[in-house]
Amino acid sequence: MTLLAGIIQIGILYIFYLAGSKLTELLHLPIPGSITGMLLLLTALSLKLMKPNWIQHGAKFLNAILPLLLVPATIGVMNYPGLFSGKGLYIFFTVIASTAITIIVAGKISQYAEKITSKKKVEDECMKHLSH
Amino acid sequence: MYETLITLIIIISTIIVYLAMYLLYRRFPLPLFLPILTTTVLIIAFLQFAGIAYEAYMTGGQWFNRLLGPAVVAFAYPLYQQRKVILKNLQPITAGVLTGLVTGIVTVLLFAKWPFVPEQMLYSLIPKSLTTPVAIEVSDAIGGSPSLTAAFVIIAGMTGAIFGPFLFKWFRIDSTLGAGIAMGSASHAIGTSKAFEYGPLAGSLSSLSMTLSAIIGPIVCILLF
Repeated sequence: MTLLAGIIQIGILYIFYLAGSKLTELLHLPIPGSITGMLLLLTALSLKLMKPNWIQHGAKFLNAILPLLLVPATIGVMNYPGLFSGKGLYIFFTVIASTAITIIVAGKISQYAEKITSKKKVEDECMKHLSH
Repeated sequence: MYETLITLIIIISTIIVYLAMYLLYRRFPLPLFLPILTTTVLIIAFLQFAGIAYEAYMTGGQWFNRLLGPAVVAFAYPLYQQRKVILKNLQPITAGVLTGLVTGIVTVLLFAKWPFVPEQMLYSLIPKSLTTPVAIEVSDAIGGSPSLTAAFVIIAGMTGAIFGPFLFKWFRIDSTLGAGIAMGSASHAIGTSKAFEYGPLAGSLSSLSMTLSAIIGPIVCILLF
């Protein structure tokens, strides 16, 4: 029963993907169909047009097997052996270094912004109490 | 009939190798044992050894790719579940995603805008932190090579999934919010699948950052280059 429900739910997600792709194509959006489909589903959930439990199992399942789904695309790097030797190594390490710095900067900045905003909220709360 | 059999063998053996690597990772949760890394390395080694081309492997492999679209759509569910936390933290999320986007581009220019790096290579590197379908389109639009970009996207994703936990420790990025946003901004879907290991909130923040980057990234890249 859950297996059948899971398959139907993946079908629903697939329909949103197709709808997203169609919309992207028709409106010449600069984002891929899958992202458009996700935004469509998010909108449908927020507007209560869709119930979360209509897609819950399928979504959780796809999420759990996501690394497996990414494997075949990842194997595609085998077509670029040049990236792992000689001059290509410089480019290879450029990607690694740039990504690592991005992780540090994005992580630090958002953590810092989180602290400031939560502090501000607490202060605002205090001010409210004081003004009463 | 013969082709269907080959396709089935490729699909089933990919799943079996992945399951074995997943169990190995559960037993020894070391970054180097990340299932996507070990599975990929093992399958590439086997294909090289057997002299099988990537295109031949993809007769079966493409079936996994077909589920990637709905898998990205499925991110809407954890995003919806975490909507309250996300709405409460819109400022840090926007700040992190935007700085991440800019840092990714600036560091590429810093490391690769040299006379000995061909221009096409440089343009292929720029969209590397975006999710594959977006990165490919951006690369094509600014004068890069889409297939090279696809390879860079994978390397960027793997970097986040493997080194992310170390970077968080060394640079004291200890909030769920910081870690999730960093993963999604720098390492798209591969980083997001790793972020879900930290819990649904980190995973949702990562997929949200990936999505925001996918929406803002092309606009920034195309305006700049």
